[in-house]
Amino acid sequence: MTHSIRGLLAGVALAVLALPAYARDITVDLSGEPSSLDPQVQWNPDSYYVYRNVFDNIVTRDNAGEIVPEIATDWEQTSDTTLALTIREGVTFHDGSPLTPEDVVYSVKRIIDPAFASPQLGQFNQITDASAEGNVVTLTTDGPYPALLAQLVKLSVVPQAVVEEMGAEAFNAAPVGSGPYVFEEWNRGVSVTLTRNEDYWGEAGPFETAVFRAVPDAATRVADLLAGTADLVVGIDADAAAQLAGNDAVQVLSAPTERVGYMGMNLDKPPFNDLEMRRAASLSIDRQGIVDGLLMAGEVPLAQMASPAHFGYAEGIEPFEYDPDAARAITEANPELAATPVTLATAPVFDQRIVQAVQQMLDDAGFSVEISMTDMPTYLADAQAEDRAERPALSFGRWSCACQDADGIAYPLLHSSSNWSRVADPEIDALLDEARVSLDEQVRLDAYAEVAQLVRENYYLLPMYQAAVLYGAASDITFEPTANESLFLNRMSVAE
Amino acid sequence: MLRFLLHRGGQALVAAFGVVTLVFFIQRLTGDPTALLLPETATREDIEAMRASLGLDRALWVQYLDFLRDIARFDLGRSFVQNAPVWTILSSRIPYTLQLAAGALAVAVLIGLPLGLAMALTRGRAVSRWMMGLVLACQSMPTFWSGIMMILVFGVWLRWLPSSGTGTPAHLVMPSIALGLLSLATFARITRSAVVDELGRDYVRSARARGVGTGRLVRKHLLRNSLIPVISITALEISQLLAGAVIVETVFAWPGLGLLTVQSIAARDFLVVQAVVLLGAFVTIGANLAADILYSVVDPRVRLSARP
Repeated sequence: MTHSIRGLLAGVALAVLALPAYARDITVDLSGEPSSLDPQVQWNPDSYYVYRNVFDNIVTRDNAGEIVPEIATDWEQTSDTTLALTIREGVTFHDGSPLTPEDVVYSVKRIIDPAFASPQLGQFNQITDASAEGNVVTLTTDGPYPALLAQLVKLSVVPQAVVEEMGAEAFNAAPVGSGPYVFEEWNRGVSVTLTRNEDYWGEAGPFETAVFRAVPDAATRVADLLAGTADLVVGIDADAAAQLAGNDAVQVLSAPTERVGYMGMNLDKPPFNDLEMRRAASLSIDRQGIVDGLLMAGEVPLAQMASPAHFGYAEGIEPFEYDPDAARAITEANPELAATPVTLATAPVFDQRIVQAVQQMLDDAGFSVEISMTDMPTYLADAQAEDRAERPALSFGRWSCACQDADGIAYPLLHSSSNWSRVADPEIDALLDEARVSLDEQVRLDAYAEVAQLVRENYYLLPMYQAAVLYGAASDITFEPTANESLFLNRMSVAE
Repeated sequence: MLRFLLHRGGQALVAAFGVVTLVFFIQRLTGDPTALLLPETATREDIEAMRASLGLDRALWVQYLDFLRDIARFDLGRSFVQNAPVWTILSSRIPYTLQLAAGALAVAVLIGLPLGLAMALTRGRAVSRWMMGLVLACQSMPTFWSGIMMILVFGVWLRWLPSSGTGTPAHLVMPSIALGLLSLATFARITRSAVVDELGRDYVRSARARGVGTGRLVRKHLLRNSLIPVISITALEISQLLAGAVIVETVFAWPGLGLLTVQSIAARDFLVVQAVVLLGAFVTIGANLAADILYSVVDPRVRLSARP
């Protein structure tokens, strides 16, 4: 009798234990809820973590970072300004209707319509027209545009009929896509629930349902992971990672991203109008120390404004030296310049540990740096001041174009025509202009290598590191984080 | 009574108007939000176009009059980050905040009042000092710390309660305690001093002399007379709870107005921030008005002294 009860209990226990592996669901703790689930409206991480599972994009990047087919199975540059995309057949939206080339045309035209006012417009406004013929969609750009494919990685295809029938607001509240997961429920402020698309054309996801929750406090996300109420958490720092490290039930995953941390200087005003002083500033910054001692998430020191995750990353750029004594020698030789007060402009969103560390390092080397913390609008207004000479004397930034192309960082930060640039070098301008419109990959690579070399030699900007991102996950989940910080559920797997 | 109501109501209206004006101008003081709403790669033309579409390129006084008209019509605008009417966003969060506030108030009143009473009745004895220490601890622990500690102990270690989020009544327990602790301390201290005050009065002594037992004394005489300061504290505590909810809701991922505030600030959704601030101000003004009216019901002297 006792035995049979024990046996029964063991059976029940086994069944209960076996259940999660059999029908494993996933709960993902994000720091905030998505701003929009309409993929053509907001593009902040908390939004795209979710909607990239509901929608397919025109093309995508595989885990190695290569651009690979998704809705477009093939593409061809048919002229300097036209790109022909062959559209995959047999793809259906979650409402059962087929995904047609017309839907692709509609999606492109919707996002480039200025009246739609998508915050993503700036990434796509070089596209002037889209048209379909048979199963081929032709995109026309206002000039040769080599980064077009890299941008199309982020262009999601929406169903024309559904969007037009529902209207933008209802579509955002209950989106219909063609991706590996189907939208189920959006509990405002709490969570978004997706279920597996059993008819997905590509690789199906391993989880039956996925719940994305908004958990703003990083310590709470870590606690949720430890308590087993979350399976994957984003946005943790090195301290939290250390807390998770000793626990067998969880794992810490990290990947370098395409964000580049750098110091920018005002080259029109003393002290940084002087090349030697810029060199001194660079010599005084301990990049390795910042990466190893402050950030500790797997960041990589950089000597150029592109990371290995970017097209246009130049091999063979000499790393920056850290030599505070040499820096001090330079400032001592130029006492007047060194004594010129330097304002390090910053805002609360920037990592203040780095801002303070850099201030300390520069002051130790003989500079006179003062941190000026303002609210973000004020900081942005200064950073984009009409007159380049009025832009901040010194600032720390982390730049990402979400396109993994050197153009996305170099052009805004180095071209004299940009709102942000504090650099005005005709040689750099010419190289960036050439690389921006050349469809010859080698020409572009050469141009970016030359730009990187010019920046390195002249210390126009002080690149610091390639930022990294950390995730915490239950140990039975396999997930390979990528440089573009996506969470594609159908690329994850679960250990049985 | 009518005169008193009109007088207090008028004061509340003036305060509300002041808050509305202040909120409008403070938002504009912090600079132009347009640049925040666009990606870094936006050109100057993009920014100008966005500014025009938001109506931020108009004269300040035109915007202000527009804002007043919208508020008068209860039109809080549309969130351009969430792409939904602000009122829809707000109303989806209000029930959560009400639940949490009710939970916290329950913790504060149901524990704080008896604790205060017990401290008053046992004053001078060691047990009272112990209770005072407990109250002091409740008051001194910062919420972000006590919240995380509770999560680690009851959520991660003992696994008695869900570590965060919503869904079941169990989810409400830890956030209510975390939010209620500070108010609990306040209620305990105020009740204690009010009861101690009353204990020294003649009617208590004569009641004791008549042989009235402690239980009856408390029920029939002390509680009602000690209640006035407690009512006024309740009104103040409601606004305290709203403020405290910002931290508690963030720690426990409780999707109320406090969390909405934090999220909207992070997402630079200034119309929502503005709406939450206005709502908080109106609730505070309303709670104080209600407390004023309630005193005058409990104690007619308050009503008479309001005469000009």
